[in-house]
Amino acid sequence: MSERKFLTLVTLLILASLLATACATPTPQVVKETVVVTKEVPVEVTKMVTKVVTKEVEKVVTKEVEKPRIEVRLSGWTASPEEENLLRASLYEFSLQNPDIIVKYEPITADYWPKIKTMVASGTEPDIYYMDIFQFPFFAQQEVLLPLDDFMSKSGVKKEDFIESLINAFTYNGKVYGIPKDFNTLALFYNKKMFDEAGLDYPTDDWTWDDLKAAAKALSKPEENIYGFGVPPDAGRFPIFVFQNGGRIMTEDFSDTMLDSPEAIEAAEFYTSFRKEGIGAIPSDVGVDWQGTGFGQGSLAMVLEGGWLVPYLKNQFPDVEFDAVTPPAGPKGEGNLVFTVAYVISKNCKNPEAAWKVIEYLTGLENQTKVLHSGFALPTRKALLDDPYLKENTVAAAIFRGAEFATPFMWGLYGSDVNEEMRKALERIYLEDVSPEEAMKDAAKKLREIFKGG
Amino acid sequence: MSPRLRRKLGEWLTAYVFLSPYLFVFGTFTVFAVGFAFYLSFTKYNLFSPPKWIGFANYTRLLQDEDFIKHALPNTLKYVAVVVPVQTVISLIVAFALDQEIKFRRLFRTLFYVPSVTSSVVISLIFMWMFNKVGAVNSLLKMLGLPSHIDWLNNIHTALPTIMAVNIWSTIGTMMIIFLAALQDIPVTYYEAAMIDGANRFQIFRYITVPLLRPVIFFVVTMGLIGCFQVFDQIYVMTAGGPLGSTLTIAYLIYKNAFQSTTPRMGYASAMAFVLAVMIFVATMLQRRIIETEPYE
Repeated sequence: MSERKFLTLVTLLILASLLATACATPTPQVVKETVVVTKEVPVEVTKMVTKVVTKEVEKVVTKEVEKPRIEVRLSGWTASPEEENLLRASLYEFSLQNPDIIVKYEPITADYWPKIKTMVASGTEPDIYYMDIFQFPFFAQQEVLLPLDDFMSKSGVKKEDFIESLINAFTYNGKVYGIPKDFNTLALFYNKKMFDEAGLDYPTDDWTWDDLKAAAKALSKPEENIYGFGVPPDAGRFPIFVFQNGGRIMTEDFSDTMLDSPEAIEAAEFYTSFRKEGIGAIPSDVGVDWQGTGFGQGSLAMVLEGGWLVPYLKNQFPDVEFDAVTPPAGPKGEGNLVFTVAYVISKNCKNPEAAWKVIEYLTGLENQTKVLHSGFALPTRKALLDDPYLKENTVAAAIFRGAEFATPFMWGLYGSDVNEEMRKALERIYLEDVSPEEAMKDAAKKLREIFKGG
Repeated sequence: MSPRLRRKLGEWLTAYVFLSPYLFVFGTFTVFAVGFAFYLSFTKYNLFSPPKWIGFANYTRLLQDEDFIKHALPNTLKYVAVVVPVQTVISLIVAFALDQEIKFRRLFRTLFYVPSVTSSVVISLIFMWMFNKVGAVNSLLKMLGLPSHIDWLNNIHTALPTIMAVNIWSTIGTMMIIFLAALQDIPVTYYEAAMIDGANRFQIFRYITVPLLRPVIFFVVTMGLIGCFQVFDQIYVMTAGGPLGSTLTIAYLIYKNAFQSTTPRMGYASAMAFVLAVMIFVATMLQRRIIETEPYE
């Protein structure tokens, strides 16, 4: 290496190290400097000079110690940025009222359940987290949640303050483990323009299965790939037809399935008849992943969906004119599903009192009113039933009315298997032309094997 | 201690000191994890309660599980049997073609390699749109006057082949690069000698290129086998194992039992993972026998 090259290299190295140290300097922190000690140091005196005393000031830097703040971790999934912002705003409100509690919000953006379950397994789960009713039985049975009854009675929160079916859904062995934060039911959404063009009257709450079928027939134009009613092989839609036919998905104690009961088989026959007769479609028939998109683009005139469809349509299909009513009644009356999510506290929580304060605020009347007015989900407090918002907002009102006849979307410890077999049974009817009776009986048989194996 | 032995010991020690960071990570996250999973495969474990020893029950359950016997196992074998040979042959042909003096050689090499550096999720999403019932593929078929109402990913006969096609398309790039590198290693003298002896293009390819590439073919096929046996992401994004289990693979079934069940079945999923590992091992050994039958040169 020549001398010049070597010098260049050295210079570069020095420059690099300088840069590195420059970068490494920590960002300046705001530190309060307080002069704590003032020392007088006598300085040696020479003979020539008179006595000189210099004052040397020794600076002692101390950090001001704050009163320890309690940290509470909160996790949930995020359905949309708007919904996340709403929660962040609520938490900010909370922090103003409770300066001694810091809520660390740690949203989980994907694969929420695997993440939460492995966190619980390793004892690193957040203090407060979202609990879907569908997953609740397993968490309750495994005793990883904190009972909330004592906190409730101490702070005067009553079970009666909440909609009965919701708070009962999160009650296990007589104890409340979760405070429901919001809920949704299914409503029959319809495209007004398509009804007008077909010269049909809009659906009403009093509709029956026959009305639904007649309208679907009148609205369908299979040659243009337009269908009257969406009938996806979806375990989150089909069960309401079983309920409307007087049947159940599971027995009362969730130990056995009732998918092979005559009521359920008849419901499957009715549900799948739409597609068979060319007046109903599954999402992929109209080239979409989800029937909400099919409804938005005008391929499906009626769909059963929840409140989540409204913000989606507003964003993606702002021109669609729609409204919603409660699902039609079946031979045995009304039936609906209720989807609900609660806040729960982990059994490992170090500061349950602080965690409870957060939940109390978030499910309190003030915050629940805010949730209602945001339009994302319906609040769980009874006191809000008469809120003027519900009177102005017909879709929200329909979803709300649906709760009266609704069953929680929950099938016990093996809920995912029940969903899966239910979906498969519908798919077999659609894709393999198996009779509804055979498909439902096979599903029940398969489920019994799974229940036995655990 | 003789000085020679001491020196050897010193070298040995130095080597392990340098290896230790890796060995620590490897020991914790591979050896221990695999060993623990092996233990779990003999237990019932739902993540929340401690594992409960149940002996071989998970393995016997596997033999009676319709999802495994009727769907996951045959689908995985079918997938491997089609994708591995096809992607190996196509990538070899592409590599051979791009090794010739043709115009825009570099451009083609880049284009063929692009899918390999693209996220498999993104590729899956693009193909989902293309194979949609009203998507590009059906539109093309319609223009050609062919049947165009196929719901590719929601039809039990076409869903798996569609996913096979996606995977073949997205992996040939990587394999092509490996073949290309190996092709350029073959001395030109062999080709010249063959040409003087009057061999034609095909004969050169068949009797010189392919035999000399044998070790590389072994490598490519092994990587392909492992990848195909473990196919997961395309399934997860495109069909979630449906319709009716027609695209359910072993890897996806493992994921479903371990992470998608309301009550996780970790023990059962671990048992399945070990069966899959044994299958990959056996398949690799078999193909080694086939490819490395006779020593060349």
